[in-house]
Amino acid sequence: MADIYTRMGDGKRVTMTKQQILDDMQAGTADAADMAGVPILDANELDKLLDIIADKNRIVGVEPGNEVVLTYDIGQLDFTGDNGNSGNGVDMGRLEAALLHERALGADTFELAHADYSIKPVKPVISNEMQTMEEIQNEIVIPYFYGAMPNMGLYYAPDGPYSNPADLMREFKIEESMAASEAAAEHLARDIEFVGTKIIAAGADGFNFDTTASAGDADCVGTFKGVEALRKACPDAYINVGMAGESVMGIHGMIEYDGQVVAGLYPHQQCKLAEKAGANVFGAVVNTNTSRSLAWNLARSVTFVKECVKESNIPVHVNMGMGVGGIPMCETAPNDAVTRCNKAMVEIAKVDGV
Amino acid sequence: MGDTAGMAVPHFMASGMGGIRSAGDLVARMEYSKNMKVGKAKDYVAKKLGISTLDIADEYIMRELREELKIGTVTGLPGAPRGIAAKMNIEKLLDIKINSCEKFRGMLR
Amino acid sequence: MANENEIKALHDAMVAYKVPGIEAAVNAAREAGMPANDIINAMGDGMTEVGVLFERGKLFLPHVLSAAAGMKKAMEILEPEMKASGTSTQAKASVVMGTVEGDVHDIGKSICSTMLQCAGFDVHDLGRDVPTPQFINEIKGGCTFCGMSALMTTTMTVQKTVIDILKSEGIRDKVTIMIGGAPVTQAYADKIGADIYGESASETTQKAKTLISDA
Repeated sequence: MADIYTRMGDGKRVTMTKQQILDDMQAGTADAADMAGVPILDANELDKLLDIIADKNRIVGVEPGNEVVLTYDIGQLDFTGDNGNSGNGVDMGRLEAALLHERALGADTFELAHADYSIKPVKPVISNEMQTMEEIQNEIVIPYFYGAMPNMGLYYAPDGPYSNPADLMREFKIEESMAASEAAAEHLARDIEFVGTKIIAAGADGFNFDTTASAGDADCVGTFKGVEALRKACPDAYINVGMAGESVMGIHGMIEYDGQVVAGLYPHQQCKLAEKAGANVFGAVVNTNTSRSLAWNLARSVTFVKECVKESNIPVHVNMGMGVGGIPMCETAPNDAVTRCNKAMVEIAKVDGV
Repeated sequence: MGDTAGMAVPHFMASGMGGIRSAGDLVARMEYSKNMKVGKAKDYVAKKLGISTLDIADEYIMRELREELKIGTVTGLPGAPRGIAAKMNIEKLLDIKINSCEKFRGMLR
Repeated sequence: MANENEIKALHDAMVAYKVPGIEAAVNAAREAGMPANDIINAMGDGMTEVGVLFERGKLFLPHVLSAAAGMKKAMEILEPEMKASGTSTQAKASVVMGTVEGDVHDIGKSICSTMLQCAGFDVHDLGRDVPTPQFINEIKGGCTFCGMSALMTTTMTVQKTVIDILKSEGIRDKVTIMIGGAPVTQAYADKIGADIYGESASETTQKAKTLISDA
């Protein structure tokens, strides 16, 4: 009998039998294993995951002693933003938002963010950001980062000086496309160093790079090179490199970082290059498929992330927001699904933080 | 952690250390400053605080300890150090340097 | 199955994405007496596999384009035979593609355009932040498929606006509406009356191809 309330990847509530959940979990872990060439979850892990998903309680949580660090991206925009960034639409100052996260929402770290939340638009307003960073550092206790997306798409026409590589590819101008990606990556790296060193000089604990490689493999290389330069300039800065997806999209296809082609790398491989670039913490990301069940998505996500944690020398904080980490793609992600994903990532994938 | 409205609460309830409610900020600092994985970071912080790793996420124990150590509390406590002052005490407690404190010291004559 | 070996060779050559290899497989299939249409269909299946491998991180965009170049070469080889037999060498359909107004995210849309082009569609990619009237004009100009991408919950509503305008102008039935983007779901597609929801570029392309072949 289908008597277990669970969710689809778009958040819709469905009922499934224990066997249906188990079948979906097995298919999900097999999909991740096939994609990334990593082991599937073993029988004990699948049993534990089944218990978590099928738990009768609305909310689940980790056992005492298993708590992990809770880090944030997008800064105050979760309060102040419009629904384009899933914000609550509550206008408030950046200091107030930071202190509310510290004192009321249990944040272990937080960050300052610009409304555009991308490296490029921050460059011309960096003095303003430095001033706000100095002010908030005087009040806040928890580690306080600056956060932005590398977002290399902004370096391509019509927003930037380089031709759009995907458009060039469609015209079979493959070499020109690759050259445009490479030039944009160098530009991004320079901007990361500029923005990063300025904000660290203003007292920021560090820099959080959110959705690295969103524009593909050259975006990934540009970010790693920028991180490398930032690490050299600021040896003690806290650097968090969070990704955009489980696989690095090969738009260029051959661009390398540290002698390795980055296209097609999975979390357990991405983390090693992030560490080489100078990251202190790696943010693993696995996207949710809205047409599949929570069981499929969560088993798949845990499979990728577990191997990443195992392979990584630096701490791994899994990204668990709307549509990532097994969590449904839904603005008001159901609490039953969020807490199940959280517990599974902590107690099965053994992440160092969320 | 992600970016959806209200997402902070279920994550905090499910597995969060609780920031300055307990010792989450201290564990985070060790992960970021020394690349320590969570288990090692918790051991380090617990040792410095002189309590067990189970206790460092216990609000009951940490509330009093944080006040005593002057490292910041969640409640508005008149006269208690916050911001740079609390972080300077954290530097001493954890034997680390904190960037904003360094910059603050650099501004003094 | 007739020409089983040739079909496999064509499929494998596409997945190996090298133009000379694809050309050789096409010539071998012709020598074996395989009809041009069957050759194209076998290559089309191979191209679908290439799209899936791209999304699974096994192949990269230049590989996809190399396979597409091989497909283009094959069409040149097969064109005289197709013309002689009266078979059409026309594109499957004209597709207008774009990221809706107010949204500047275009990587996913661009990849989808590439996949559709590789699958034999005539793609008019309008880029990103596309003014709504431009979609309408392209449809009035003859595009029978319209693909709209939105990466933000604030901009996905524009997909519905376009559909509403098409309805009010009485031309909704002239076009197949395809929607996609991170916050977009099948439920949303159903709600606003879109014809195709694509979880990925290859899924969108596959659904568009199926719709054409079923028509």
